[in-house]
Amino acid sequence: MASEDDEFTMLFQDFYPSLCRFLECLLGGRAPLAQDLAQESFLQLHRTAWGTLPVGEARFWLYRVARNMAINEFRKSNTRYRLFDRVVEAMRPRARNPEQEYETQERKVLVLEMLQSLPEDQRTALLLREQEQLSYKEIGQVLNVSESKVKVDIFRARASLRERWNKRAKTAGASIG
Amino acid sequence: MSCSFTEKISSLIDGELSQAEARDVERHVLSCSECEQVRADFLNLRSQIAGYESSLEPTVQNRALKKILAPESRPTRLQWAFSTPAIAFATLLIVGAIIGLLFYQSKRASESKTTAQVQTPAPVPSASVEKEKPPAPEASPQLSPENQQPTPKKNEKETNNPRREPSTPVKRPLVREPKPGEQFASVPERVRSADAETMTAMHFEKSETLLLAFKNVRLDEPGAAAEVSHERKRAKQLVFQNMMLRREADAAGDVQISSLLENLEPILIDIANLPEQPDPDAIRVIRERVERKNIVALLRVNSTALARALD
Repeated sequence: MASEDDEFTMLFQDFYPSLCRFLECLLGGRAPLAQDLAQESFLQLHRTAWGTLPVGEARFWLYRVARNMAINEFRKSNTRYRLFDRVVEAMRPRARNPEQEYETQERKVLVLEMLQSLPEDQRTALLLREQEQLSYKEIGQVLNVSESKVKVDIFRARASLRERWNKRAKTAGASIG
Repeated sequence: MSCSFTEKISSLIDGELSQAEARDVERHVLSCSECEQVRADFLNLRSQIAGYESSLEPTVQNRALKKILAPESRPTRLQWAFSTPAIAFATLLIVGAIIGLLFYQSKRASESKTTAQVQTPAPVPSASVEKEKPPAPEASPQLSPENQQPTPKKNEKETNNPRREPSTPVKRPLVREPKPGEQFASVPERVRSADAETMTAMHFEKSETLLLAFKNVRLDEPGAAAEVSHERKRAKQLVFQNMMLRREADAAGDVQISSLLENLEPILIDIANLPEQPDPDAIRVIRERVERKNIVALLRVNSTALARALD
């Protein structure tokens, strides 16, 4: 039992931060909700599937369940970044210097805005590829779709973001590359 | 994006092409400026998305783990504490109770009507008794979508198939070996001095110019050796700077810059160590290595990123 908990702790320490980040990007920056959902996903894993999942499946299981939870949240709140979350986010204590913090926040907002412009399936596939470095096959496993769909979704997501980024850069008088 | 290769570039940077395909696409990219730009843009997008920093704090993480592992842990606001069969059973009980109550009420109402009819002989049409009945309950209450546990189909299958080895850890390596052409996303930037960043940006630009010039040396012409001698001198100058900047990036914990400098260093050393009259094959080998590691595009992306950060 103790060793099972040790294994679980190891998995948690490895993947909880990245699951939070994945959900945060998927939910348009709603960090507290993302952390709640990530916790829920791990809780479900611990209660229902831990000990029965095949080796190496736990990570995919977590992303699958977390994504489904996020979709339920979209249905509930129509993906709006609620005012309350914004206030909570704004009032969080910051450790870094203000200038650096401002830059980071600005970049985060930009990335989130761009990601929010994508359809949910493209956004999820792209996040799993770029942040989690999953292969097309693994992404297909998480999303329960074929590898070719993953490939097309990722390409479309990139093409769309590139176009958006370049348009933005043109208006700002700068270039992407 | 008019070139037909652009979709393949997406697969190329993900390492999802076979070696032969990757080679073909790499070769095409060298001759197609549009595709070269697409690749640089896709890589830049990658570093932007991968560089997204989560707002998670270590205390939140520790608290979450404690909650999950605590034996008396209760789910938070987002989830029912009961399993789906328990909810279904409770729903059935409630629906049964409501139906029973309604049936009992309607029975009592009809009984009181009968009594009233006996007491007052005024004719009451039987239809009116039916009209007074409360409306039948609508479809039995179902769980709202938000309360349903999103349990994937595959998961059910897995739950019925307990084939997990008891003592094998589930941990997976966070970073895989790259596949042909694949380029992993960069790590978020670390705190480094503006001077070091300026130096690095300039170094990247110089190295990029050197590698491009080296790529364009014509091997079949008699003056090739002289051309290479110039690149050799430049490489010698850049090697020392590269070493210095790499150490600095290592010390600052800037993994992205450090690994790029680490990849660049052996190439610079090889160019610097070329003999006076170099063998064309030796030059070709170095060029191939530059192409394979995609150093030029990485240098361009990183120097631009650094320059923009400094602006």
